[in-house]
Amino acid sequence: MDTNFLERFLVIFALYNLLATIGVSIYGIVARPHITKKIIALTILGDALNVLAIFLGFKPSSIPPVLLKTDTISEGDIIKFATSAVDPLPQALVLTAIVIGLAVNLFLIFLALQIFRLYGTLDSRKIRELRG
Amino acid sequence: MRRSYIVLISLISVIFVLAYLTTYMGILGPISSDTRYLAKLFLALTYNPDTSTSLRYLTAMSPEAVTAIVWDYRGIDTFYETTVFFMAIVSALTIYRGITNIESKTQGSGLSIIVRVVTKLLIPMNIAIAVSIAVHGHLTPGGGFQAGAALAVISVLLAVVFSGYSFGKLGMGISKAVALRSMGLLGIATVTLLPLIYGIVAGVQTYLMQNYMKVDSPFTFPIYAWGQLISGTLIWLNLAEFLAVSFGFFVIFMLLSLREETVKKYLGVGDGH
Repeated sequence: MDTNFLERFLVIFALYNLLATIGVSIYGIVARPHITKKIIALTILGDALNVLAIFLGFKPSSIPPVLLKTDTISEGDIIKFATSAVDPLPQALVLTAIVIGLAVNLFLIFLALQIFRLYGTLDSRKIRELRG
Repeated sequence: MRRSYIVLISLISVIFVLAYLTTYMGILGPISSDTRYLAKLFLALTYNPDTSTSLRYLTAMSPEAVTAIVWDYRGIDTFYETTVFFMAIVSALTIYRGITNIESKTQGSGLSIIVRVVTKLLIPMNIAIAVSIAVHGHLTPGGGFQAGAALAVISVLLAVVFSGYSFGKLGMGISKAVALRSMGLLGIATVTLLPLIYGIVAGVQTYLMQNYMKVDSPFTFPIYAWGQLISGTLIWLNLAEFLAVSFGFFVIFMLLSLREETVKKYLGVGDGH
């Protein structure tokens, strides 16, 4: 088992783990009857998708997409930076998605609170049977 | 309990075997050790003060490629993400309609004196870190979103340590927080529309959210201020987003820290069923 094989195996293992996490969280959203557990599964789904986006933009032995030298910059510095930094686009998308996800999750928690106030339960099987 | 362990172990082993088989058979091919061409383009142009070539029409003049993408190259995207954030908070406020201010109570609330003093010491540092993240958003990792989330921690600390009444004591009502958040959104709108207003007044072609000059448009935001790199629109958009995000979260956590009796009184809801 050479290092190349091990490296590839670890990357693919991490990818499959992420996909399995996404699958389990979708199962949690669909199959669990309790609304709190649905919200927890939804947050796990969001985080797993964010990690997947970062994972797709990653490359081995790279630097963050931040240029540290700005005052006396030459063409060589920019070329070196562009060839060694990771893909900044997934990071930019994830950056906003985290905060938006937090706000949407908080809104869902508000909805769940309101459901509990009105119906006295968070079990979606019981809520379905109630009227009014 | 034992059944869930069996499910977990079988899931992990299935993933392990699948990953081994995929690697052994080489289905996914070799791992790319290079980024895409688009990513290279973003990285090469994000801070490129080279005025000799036509590349200067494509630069964002920010050494932080992520902020450059968030607020310059894909600025309209971020604008709509801010709209989603805005709508989430508006929806939360709609559920709690009718509650405008939090009553204040002076005694018998909050945690012990040790926790309160430590929190009082921590809050100024938290504010300093949040403002630093926002102001350095175009130079180092960070920006308006992260700074807003960092400042929102204070609202959680206040609610937990000093109880929900502390917001009223500090003069921080829901309507005031909503006003500050709207100020942040107005700031974003102003920075977005300024190039257009300049274009109409000066009679030149400009674009929405324009940061640096383009081939057919000479308009450019001030890139340097007092010898410091401020990257044109990026610092202003980061500061505006900082206000919008932090006070948006303030509103939400204030509403969450309300007493159940108060909420039920306002909403006219009984005790269940």
